[in-house]
Amino acid sequence: MIAMANNEASRLVLRKDVAELKRLAGWIEGFTRKRTSPDVSFAVQLCLEEAVANIIMYGGARDDPLEIAVELERNGGNLVARIEDNGRQFDPTRALPPVPARSLEEAKVGDVGIHLMRSFASGMDYERRDGRNRLTLRFLEPAVPPAE
Amino acid sequence: MDISVDDLAGGITKVALRGRFDTTGAVVVELPFNKIATEKQKIMVDLSAVNFLASYGIRVLLVGAKIVKNNGGNLVILCPDNNVAKVLKTAGMDALIPIHQSEAAATAALAS
Repeated sequence: MIAMANNEASRLVLRKDVAELKRLAGWIEGFTRKRTSPDVSFAVQLCLEEAVANIIMYGGARDDPLEIAVELERNGGNLVARIEDNGRQFDPTRALPPVPARSLEEAKVGDVGIHLMRSFASGMDYERRDGRNRLTLRFLEPAVPPAE
Repeated sequence: MDISVDDLAGGITKVALRGRFDTTGAVVVELPFNKIATEKQKIMVDLSAVNFLASYGIRVLLVGAKIVKNNGGNLVILCPDNNVAKVLKTAGMDALIPIHQSEAAATAALAS
Protein backbone atom coordinates (compact mmCIF):
# COMPACT_ATOMS: atom_id res chain seq x y z
CA MET A 1 0.00 0.00 0.00
CA ILE A 2 1.25 3.46 -0.81
CA ALA A 3 0.07 6.33 1.35
CA MET A 4 2.12 9.45 1.02
CA ALA A 5 1.37 12.91 2.33
CA ASN A 6 2.26 14.64 -0.86
CA ASN A 7 0.25 17.84 -1.10
CA GLU A 8 2.02 20.64 -2.88
CA ALA A 9 0.78 23.69 -4.74
CA SER A 10 2.12 26.41 -6.96
CA ARG A 11 0.60 29.56 -8.50
CA LEU A 12 1.47 31.60 -11.58
CA VAL A 13 -0.02 34.91 -12.72
CA LEU A 14 -0.01 35.68 -16.45
CA ARG A 15 -0.66 38.76 -18.53
CA LYS A 16 -2.75 39.00 -21.71
CA ASP A 17 0.13 38.24 -24.04
CA VAL A 18 0.62 35.17 -26.25
CA ALA A 19 4.31 35.18 -25.25
CA GLU A 20 3.15 34.20 -21.74
CA LEU A 21 2.26 30.71 -23.03
CA LYS A 22 5.97 29.87 -23.16
CA ARG A 23 6.37 30.84 -19.51
CA LEU A 24 3.27 28.78 -18.65
CA ALA A 25 4.70 25.70 -20.41
CA GLY A 26 8.02 25.94 -18.56
CA TRP A 27 6.29 26.40 -15.24
CA ILE A 28 3.98 23.38 -15.72
CA GLU A 29 6.88 21.21 -16.82
CA GLY A 30 8.84 22.23 -13.74
CA PHE A 31 5.91 21.40 -11.44
CA THR A 32 4.90 18.10 -13.02
CA ARG A 33 8.35 16.69 -13.84
CA LYS A 34 8.90 14.97 -10.50
CA ARG A 35 5.33 14.85 -9.29
CA THR A 36 3.35 13.13 -12.04
CA SER A 37 3.70 10.52 -14.76
CA PRO A 38 4.78 11.78 -18.22
CA ASP A 39 1.23 11.14 -19.51
CA VAL A 40 -0.39 13.30 -16.82
CA SER A 41 2.27 15.99 -17.37
CA PHE A 42 1.41 15.98 -21.09
CA ALA A 43 -2.33 16.19 -20.38
CA VAL A 44 -1.90 19.09 -17.92
CA GLN A 45 0.30 20.99 -20.37
CA LEU A 46 -2.19 20.44 -23.19
CA CYS A 47 -5.30 21.45 -21.24
CA LEU A 48 -3.72 24.54 -19.70
CA GLU A 49 -2.23 25.67 -22.99
CA GLU A 50 -5.68 25.42 -24.61
CA ALA A 51 -7.51 27.11 -21.73
CA VAL A 52 -5.05 29.98 -21.28
CA ALA A 53 -4.58 30.55 -25.05
CA ASN A 54 -8.39 30.89 -25.32
CA ILE A 55 -8.47 33.46 -22.52
CA ILE A 56 -5.55 35.44 -23.97
CA MET A 57 -7.00 35.47 -27.48
CA TYR A 58 -10.71 35.89 -26.75
CA GLY A 59 -11.07 36.81 -23.08
CA GLY A 60 -11.09 40.56 -23.27
CA ALA A 61 -10.99 43.72 -25.32
CA ARG A 62 -7.63 44.93 -26.60
CA ASP A 63 -6.78 47.22 -23.70
CA ASP A 64 -8.43 45.30 -20.85
CA PRO A 65 -6.13 44.75 -17.89
CA LEU A 66 -6.74 41.01 -18.09
CA GLU A 67 -5.19 38.91 -15.37
CA ILE A 68 -4.98 35.13 -15.51
CA ALA A 69 -4.00 33.14 -12.42
CA VAL A 70 -3.14 29.45 -12.74
CA GLU A 71 -2.77 27.15 -9.77
CA LEU A 72 -1.54 23.57 -9.71
CA GLU A 73 -2.10 21.36 -6.71
CA ARG A 74 -0.88 17.85 -6.24
CA ASN A 75 -3.16 15.98 -3.88
CA GLY A 76 -2.16 12.39 -3.34
CA GLY A 77 -2.43 10.68 -6.71
CA ASN A 78 -4.43 13.50 -8.28
CA LEU A 79 -3.51 16.80 -9.80
CA VAL A 80 -5.90 19.74 -9.78
CA ALA A 81 -5.45 22.78 -12.01
CA ARG A 82 -7.41 25.99 -11.42
CA ILE A 83 -7.55 28.83 -13.88
CA GLU A 84 -9.09 32.13 -12.87
CA ASP A 85 -9.46 35.21 -15.06
CA ASN A 86 -11.32 38.51 -15.03
CA GLY A 87 -12.15 38.43 -18.75
CA ARG A 88 -15.54 38.13 -20.39
CA GLN A 89 -17.75 35.30 -19.18
CA PHE A 90 -17.00 32.04 -20.93
CA ASP A 91 -17.96 28.54 -19.84
CA PRO A 92 -15.99 25.96 -21.85
CA THR A 93 -17.93 23.09 -20.24
CA ARG A 94 -21.01 24.25 -22.20
CA ALA A 95 -19.30 24.43 -25.58
CA LEU A 96 -20.78 22.03 -28.11
CA PRO A 97 -18.55 19.18 -29.29
CA PRO A 98 -17.17 19.68 -32.80
CA VAL A 99 -18.97 17.93 -35.65
CA PRO A 100 -16.60 15.39 -37.24
CA ALA A 101 -15.70 16.44 -40.78
CA ARG A 102 -16.38 13.97 -43.59
CA SER A 103 -13.56 15.17 -45.82
CA LEU A 104 -10.47 17.36 -45.79
CA GLU A 105 -12.26 19.87 -48.01
CA GLU A 106 -15.16 20.22 -45.56
CA ALA A 107 -13.07 20.23 -42.39
CA LYS A 108 -13.32 23.42 -40.37
CA VAL A 109 -10.08 24.92 -39.10
CA GLY A 110 -10.16 25.42 -35.34
CA ASP A 111 -12.72 24.39 -32.71
CA VAL A 112 -10.72 21.49 -31.30
CA GLY A 113 -9.12 23.09 -28.22
CA ILE A 114 -12.03 22.57 -25.82
CA HIS A 115 -12.62 19.08 -27.19
CA LEU A 116 -8.96 18.25 -26.40
CA MET A 117 -9.38 19.62 -22.86
CA ARG A 118 -12.47 17.45 -22.30
CA SER A 119 -10.66 14.39 -23.61
CA PHE A 120 -7.35 14.77 -21.78
CA ALA A 121 -8.65 15.95 -18.38
CA SER A 122 -10.47 13.56 -16.05
CA GLY A 123 -12.94 16.28 -15.04
CA MET A 124 -13.75 19.90 -15.83
CA ASP A 125 -15.90 22.30 -13.76
CA TYR A 126 -16.74 25.95 -14.33
CA GLU A 127 -18.20 28.70 -12.21
CA ARG A 128 -18.58 32.45 -12.62
CA ARG A 129 -18.05 34.21 -9.33
CA ASP A 130 -17.29 37.85 -8.41
CA GLY A 131 -16.90 38.77 -12.08
CA ARG A 132 -14.34 36.05 -12.67
CA ASN A 133 -14.23 32.81 -14.63
CA ARG A 134 -13.04 29.89 -12.55
CA LEU A 135 -12.21 26.70 -14.36
CA THR A 136 -11.11 23.60 -12.46
CA LEU A 137 -9.50 20.69 -14.24
CA ARG A 138 -8.77 17.35 -12.60
CA PHE A 139 -6.21 14.79 -13.66
CA LEU A 140 -6.06 11.28 -12.26
CA GLU A 141 -2.93 9.22 -12.37
CA PRO A 142 -3.58 5.90 -14.09
CA ALA A 143 -3.91 3.05 -11.59
CA VAL A 144 -0.60 1.36 -10.83
CA PRO A 145 -0.14 -1.99 -9.16
CA PRO A 146 0.61 -1.65 -5.43
CA ALA A 147 4.29 -1.78 -4.47
CA GLU A 148 5.65 -4.80 -2.61
CA MET B 1 10.61 24.71 -32.79
CA ASP B 2 12.67 23.70 -35.85
CA ILE B 3 11.63 22.78 -39.37
CA SER B 4 13.86 21.04 -41.91
CA VAL B 5 13.11 19.98 -45.46
CA ASP B 6 14.56 17.00 -47.29
CA ASP B 7 13.92 15.86 -50.86
CA LEU B 8 13.44 12.08 -51.02
CA ALA B 9 13.29 9.77 -54.03
CA GLY B 10 10.07 9.76 -56.04
CA GLY B 11 9.46 13.50 -55.72
CA ILE B 12 8.59 13.24 -52.02
CA THR B 13 9.34 16.18 -49.76
CA LYS B 14 9.96 15.26 -46.16
CA VAL B 15 9.24 18.05 -43.70
CA ALA B 16 10.66 17.22 -40.29
CA LEU B 17 9.43 19.21 -37.32
CA ARG B 18 11.22 19.17 -34.00
CA GLY B 19 10.25 20.42 -30.56
CA ARG B 20 7.02 21.68 -29.02
CA PHE B 21 4.27 22.16 -31.60
CA ASP B 22 2.27 24.44 -29.32
CA THR B 23 1.02 27.98 -30.00
CA THR B 24 4.54 29.39 -29.62
CA GLY B 25 6.10 26.75 -31.90
CA ALA B 26 3.30 26.80 -34.47
CA VAL B 27 3.65 30.55 -34.99
CA VAL B 28 7.33 29.97 -35.88
CA VAL B 29 6.74 27.22 -38.48
CA GLU B 30 3.39 28.37 -39.92
CA LEU B 31 4.73 30.52 -42.78
CA PRO B 32 7.54 28.20 -43.97
CA PHE B 33 5.17 25.24 -43.69
CA ASN B 34 2.49 26.94 -45.79
CA LYS B 35 5.11 27.87 -48.39
CA ILE B 36 6.18 24.21 -48.74
CA ALA B 37 2.52 23.14 -48.92
CA THR B 38 1.95 25.60 -51.75
CA GLU B 39 5.02 24.53 -53.73
CA LYS B 40 5.18 20.73 -53.26
CA GLN B 41 2.87 17.90 -54.30
CA LYS B 42 3.92 14.91 -52.18
CA ILE B 43 4.62 15.85 -48.60
CA MET B 44 5.54 13.68 -45.63
CA VAL B 45 5.31 15.61 -42.35
CA ASP B 46 7.57 13.88 -39.86
CA LEU B 47 6.40 14.45 -36.27
CA SER B 48 8.76 11.84 -34.74
CA ALA B 49 10.77 14.54 -32.96
CA VAL B 50 7.73 16.56 -31.87
CA ASN B 51 7.20 16.02 -28.15
CA PHE B 52 4.08 18.14 -27.68
CA LEU B 53 1.13 19.12 -29.86
CA ALA B 54 -1.68 21.59 -29.16
CA SER B 55 -4.61 22.90 -31.23
CA TYR B 56 -2.62 25.64 -32.98
CA GLY B 57 -0.25 22.98 -34.29
CA ILE B 58 -3.22 20.96 -35.54
CA ARG B 59 -4.48 24.08 -37.28
CA VAL B 60 -1.15 24.47 -39.13
CA LEU B 61 -1.21 20.79 -40.24
CA LEU B 62 -4.84 21.01 -41.37
CA VAL B 63 -4.37 24.24 -43.33
CA GLY B 64 -1.25 22.76 -44.99
CA ALA B 65 -3.09 19.55 -45.92
CA LYS B 66 -5.94 21.57 -47.41
CA ILE B 67 -3.53 23.64 -49.52
CA VAL B 68 -1.80 20.49 -50.86
CA LYS B 69 -5.13 18.80 -51.60
CA ASN B 70 -6.39 21.90 -53.44
CA ASN B 71 -3.30 21.72 -55.65
CA GLY B 72 -4.00 18.07 -56.44
CA GLY B 73 -1.24 16.73 -54.17
CA ASN B 74 -1.07 14.56 -51.09
CA LEU B 75 0.12 15.14 -47.54
CA VAL B 76 0.67 12.36 -45.01
CA ILE B 77 1.88 12.41 -41.42
CA LEU B 78 4.61 10.24 -39.96
CA CYS B 79 4.11 9.90 -36.22
CA PRO B 80 4.91 7.14 -33.72
CA ASP B 81 2.16 5.93 -31.39
CA ASN B 82 2.59 8.40 -28.54
CA ASN B 83 0.76 11.31 -26.88
CA VAL B 84 1.20 13.45 -30.00
CA ALA B 85 -0.58 10.76 -32.03
CA LYS B 86 -3.29 10.65 -29.35
CA VAL B 87 -3.86 14.40 -29.78
CA LEU B 88 -4.12 13.98 -33.57
CA LYS B 89 -6.65 11.16 -33.20
CA THR B 90 -8.67 12.92 -30.51
CA ALA B 91 -8.93 15.95 -32.79
CA GLY B 92 -10.19 13.69 -35.60
CA MET B 93 -7.17 14.31 -37.81
CA ASP B 94 -6.71 10.60 -38.54
CA ALA B 95 -9.97 10.69 -40.52
CA LEU B 96 -8.72 13.58 -42.67
CA ILE B 97 -4.96 13.10 -43.05
CA PRO B 98 -3.32 9.65 -43.35
CA ILE B 99 -1.10 8.97 -40.31
CA HIS B 100 1.68 6.38 -40.61
CA GLN B 101 4.00 5.00 -37.96
CA SER B 102 6.94 4.23 -40.23
CA GLU B 103 8.71 6.14 -42.96
CA ALA B 104 8.37 3.13 -45.27
CA ALA B 105 4.58 3.15 -44.92
CA ALA B 106 4.39 6.92 -45.38
CA THR B 107 6.58 6.69 -48.50
CA ALA B 108 4.47 3.87 -49.94
CA ALA B 109 1.30 5.90 -49.35
CA LEU B 110 2.73 8.86 -51.26
CA ALA B 111 4.08 6.72 -54.05
CA SER B 112 0.74 5.09 -54.85
